[in-house]
Amino acid sequence: MLILSLAWRALLRDRFFLFCNVAVMVGILVPLLVLLGVKNGVYQALVGEMLADPANLQIDTAGNATLTEDEIAPLRGWPEIAFLTPKVRGQFDYMNVRAVDGRRMSTALMIPTGEGDPTLPKGAALAEGEVAVSAQLAAQLDLTPGTEVQLISQAEDRPKQLVLPARVGLVLPANATAGRAVLAPFATLDLIEAFYDSYSLPDYGIEGAKPLSERAPTYAGLRAYARSLEDLAGLQTRIEKQLGLATSARTRDVESLLGLGRKLNLALLGTAVLAAIGLGAALVLGFWSDVLRKRTVLAGIALIGVPSHRLALFPMVQALITAVLGLALSFLLYLLAGRGATWLFGQGLPGEAPLAHIGTGQGIAIAAAVLLLALLASGAAAWSALRLDPASVLREGT
Amino acid sequence: MLDLGAARIDLADGDRTFRLEVEALRLEPGQMLALTGSSGSGKTLLLELLGLLRAPGQGTRFRWLGETGEVDLAALWSRGARNAELSRLRGRLFGFVPQTGGLMPFLSVAENIALPQRVNGAPDPGRVEHLMERLGLSDIARLRPDALSIGQRQRTAIARALSHRPPFVIADEPTAALDPETSDRVLDLLLDAARAEGSGVILSSHDIDRIERFAIPRVALSAESAGGTVTSRLEGATC
Repeated sequence: MLILSLAWRALLRDRFFLFCNVAVMVGILVPLLVLLGVKNGVYQALVGEMLADPANLQIDTAGNATLTEDEIAPLRGWPEIAFLTPKVRGQFDYMNVRAVDGRRMSTALMIPTGEGDPTLPKGAALAEGEVAVSAQLAAQLDLTPGTEVQLISQAEDRPKQLVLPARVGLVLPANATAGRAVLAPFATLDLIEAFYDSYSLPDYGIEGAKPLSERAPTYAGLRAYARSLEDLAGLQTRIEKQLGLATSARTRDVESLLGLGRKLNLALLGTAVLAAIGLGAALVLGFWSDVLRKRTVLAGIALIGVPSHRLALFPMVQALITAVLGLALSFLLYLLAGRGATWLFGQGLPGEAPLAHIGTGQGIAIAAAVLLLALLASGAAAWSALRLDPASVLREGT
Repeated sequence: MLDLGAARIDLADGDRTFRLEVEALRLEPGQMLALTGSSGSGKTLLLELLGLLRAPGQGTRFRWLGETGEVDLAALWSRGARNAELSRLRGRLFGFVPQTGGLMPFLSVAENIALPQRVNGAPDPGRVEHLMERLGLSDIARLRPDALSIGQRQRTAIARALSHRPPFVIADEPTAALDPETSDRVLDLLLDAARAEGSGVILSSHDIDRIERFAIPRVALSAESAGGTVTSRLEGATC
């Protein structure tokens, strides 16, 4: 298109004007980008640190209650729950653990687990007969994936120990769960509770006072994990309301961090709006004054037959080129400033995360907003170009 | 053929009114015509009217009778001064030579000359070469206007005005900014090049001696004042 090429050539000749507008954009955009990047980086590091400990997403019913499967079932479909498991009575949480061919034995906390449990590594699943063990327990008993183990218990009033065979499917990272723990399917824990309740378990050679078929399953509570930190507070309230039970969760810590993020976002948005007003005003005046300065040239283009509505594209094309250059330079300088900031102040961030970070989506949104702002700012210039009288070139000098 | 008749344009400036009246003016493609008259007699206004830069007054007859048929130019104006068809027709029918060249400062001489061809969607690099050669611009083809002398700019403007083979070239006081010697040379080149390329020239000038020396048919605008109104009329062709 002819007008695009003319606008580009005119802009190349008026490099000084182009550099002025680009400098204005860079002067406003780079500090904003750095501010946003550092806010993202620091905040994401704090959130990441919080998410690294699944206990921050955990909601537990307090004390020992009596819940039936009918009471728990509705919760299983809630979208904000990533993982939910019933709990057995607290006094039956501990078992002795030893490797089949090992000498040492250690007491470990039994924790129910299953698909979606954030304590397990992402995407990990336990096959039938498998358990996950904490890093501390694995180190103590020399357990590795594939090791055959026995979970052993002894009730004071029972003549025989319950020995449950299992295979180590996963050794959890140190930050996943503290102390010595075995994560097993809830059915395993339920079996242990039945043993303590004196039920017969013929599959394991246990003869009890009552047959297992007479046992009506009830739960001492439940443990749920929220899908995200943002879901935690709402989910806790919903569970309490649904079950009529008190629960415990790290809601205050989580809400405090989320509140900080919201306040930072609001402060940044306010700053960005003020900056956009300033940048918009500078660009409006810059583009408009340029059309006034070039009115003879533009009228000359109209004189030789270019329609007014195409002439109006001239400042708009120049505005877009200016905005693209301004954005490219701003993002480049932001990247350099971000690296510098990480090098100077980024020590101690978890996972070697960068101090300043802007995601692709955020970057695209910023670029689109700036392009739109530049286009709107060129509106007055386009209107001015639209109203130019081509005859003014002919009258020039008369 | 351009056919203008019963034209009356009124311009108001405070209490004063200027009126231009043209009873009848017909111009054939390739025809030369000089508009003469004193300063303020409306020469530029008439050029603007002919060049589709000024709306004709109510009741004006203004037509273009071309090979492909008749176009009612006065009716085109009724669709608004900024209608695209008017711009396109102006670009096709006319080449313009403003006093100071009116060149695009960011384009080279060759690009300036080629510009009307691009606007009309008919690029013809061979013709650009030919015009540059005819007007002695080949050696400066790649220079920009700010590196040219005034005479070179005028020659470039003449080449640009002719590059898309318009039926008419409109030149408003094309030699007013030049010294007498350069004026003669530029006018000679304009008329000579236009004749050779088959384009007519409509120019305005207050230099009747030079117009007569170059034997350009001329019509004069004479103004008379009555009350607060200055009325300028086109008098018959002389020469």
